[in-house]
Amino acid sequence: MNDRALLTINDIAKAFRGTPVLNGVDLELRSGQMLAVVGENGSGKSTLLKIIVGLLEPDAGAFRIQGTMGYCPQESLVFENLTVRENFQFFGKAYGLTDWRERSVRLLKRFQFAQYADYLISKVSGGTRQKLNLCLALMHDPDVLILDEPYSGFDWETYLHFWGLTEELLERGRGLLIVSHLIYDHDQFSAVHELVDGVLRCD
Amino acid sequence: MRLSYVATGALMTVRELLRNRVVLIMLFVIPSVFYTLVALTTPDRPIAFKLASVSEDTFVSVSQKSESLIFIGLAAVGFLTSFVAMTLIRRDVDVNRRLVVCGYRPSELVVSKLAVLVGVILVVALFVSTALLVFFRPEHFALTAVGLILVGWVYGAYGLLVGALFRRELEAVLFIALLANIDAGWLQNPIYYADAQNTEIIRALPAYFPSQVSMVAAFSDHPVTIPVLASIGYGLSLLVLALIVHRWRMPAFRG
Repeated sequence: MNDRALLTINDIAKAFRGTPVLNGVDLELRSGQMLAVVGENGSGKSTLLKIIVGLLEPDAGAFRIQGTMGYCPQESLVFENLTVRENFQFFGKAYGLTDWRERSVRLLKRFQFAQYADYLISKVSGGTRQKLNLCLALMHDPDVLILDEPYSGFDWETYLHFWGLTEELLERGRGLLIVSHLIYDHDQFSAVHELVDGVLRCD
Repeated sequence: MRLSYVATGALMTVRELLRNRVVLIMLFVIPSVFYTLVALTTPDRPIAFKLASVSEDTFVSVSQKSESLIFIGLAAVGFLTSFVAMTLIRRDVDVNRRLVVCGYRPSELVVSKLAVLVGVILVVALFVSTALLVFFRPEHFALTAVGLILVGWVYGAYGLLVGALFRRELEAVLFIALLANIDAGWLQNPIYYADAQNTEIIRALPAYFPSQVSMVAAFSDHPVTIPVLASIGYGLSLLVLALIVHRWRMPAFRG
């Protein structure tokens, strides 16, 4: 399956007010791979992630995503005054999905929170928000899934669901990139990269 | 711009707004309280004031209570629409950024909010206009209502601009309260204007033209074409600025 580059990052650089944060980051994520980018707080992980997902422009360098991208932020970025189902509908529209209903039903069942489909987000537990947060990144079946600090963002149940899902995604040739200040389960990853002094080093 | 995306965005915004019951109630309670206070405290004796947008020499003499009701109605619509606009553009800003990353265009999101804002302006302005009839009937009711809609338009655009500019809510609230209070809630009262100096400052403020539309229409037969057009232009200018700032704050659409 490791035959197609899904995400290619070449020599990305970024500085804030003259202080360099990224000094030429290179990374390639191929289909069927799960990579981790780790680093201390302030090492530039968030900056790199924001550049990849499109929230920030790099000063130099280039990156390319082959296919679609799903982004699961650390915080649950969902609409508080909409229901779980309405959040699926809104994000489904963003992805251009006409079958958002069927996809949301599948994810609601898989992550076992279908009973909350018509609850407002402001009325559901943190665990349900986290599940929705992850499902919104998955609902269009992206080629590349990018997760920001999943270890601190997920509760235990979501964490277990997540690992069950990763295996399936990787078998189907998807690529996963996990950005975190530390990771567990090293052996599950194709490679672990550490961001030090603005460059990536492979462990 | 994809219209179905705008429609979905507007539908979700309306759903969110309708679930905020306190805000909905306040949209009707605040003007009612303002009107009641004016009706209870302002005398009915005649008072003369200048119709500034007609000419410097055009005065009308009307009931002080009627004049105050128009003035407070304008202030209420200005306050309310600017706060609603600020809330619409600021609320869930990070989730909206995520939506853009997922495929929404920033313009589609902002136009959907603008469509909802226009609806809110119409509802509030028409409620405030209709409530006026409990106390007196303006000479040209429809045009008086147009003035109230226009103050909502101009202050709604101002609310969008402030909401887009300030990241923290306190600053945004203070900027709205400051201007709405001093402009729509004080300087645009024709009774104050009659004796004011440096009136060009008052004329440059957002509520000037809409106030003139309502005042002139309510108490005279003079045309209001110029203040109507100026109000539309003023609101449009603020809106364009708000859209530029909002676009700058949103991530780029990657298609």
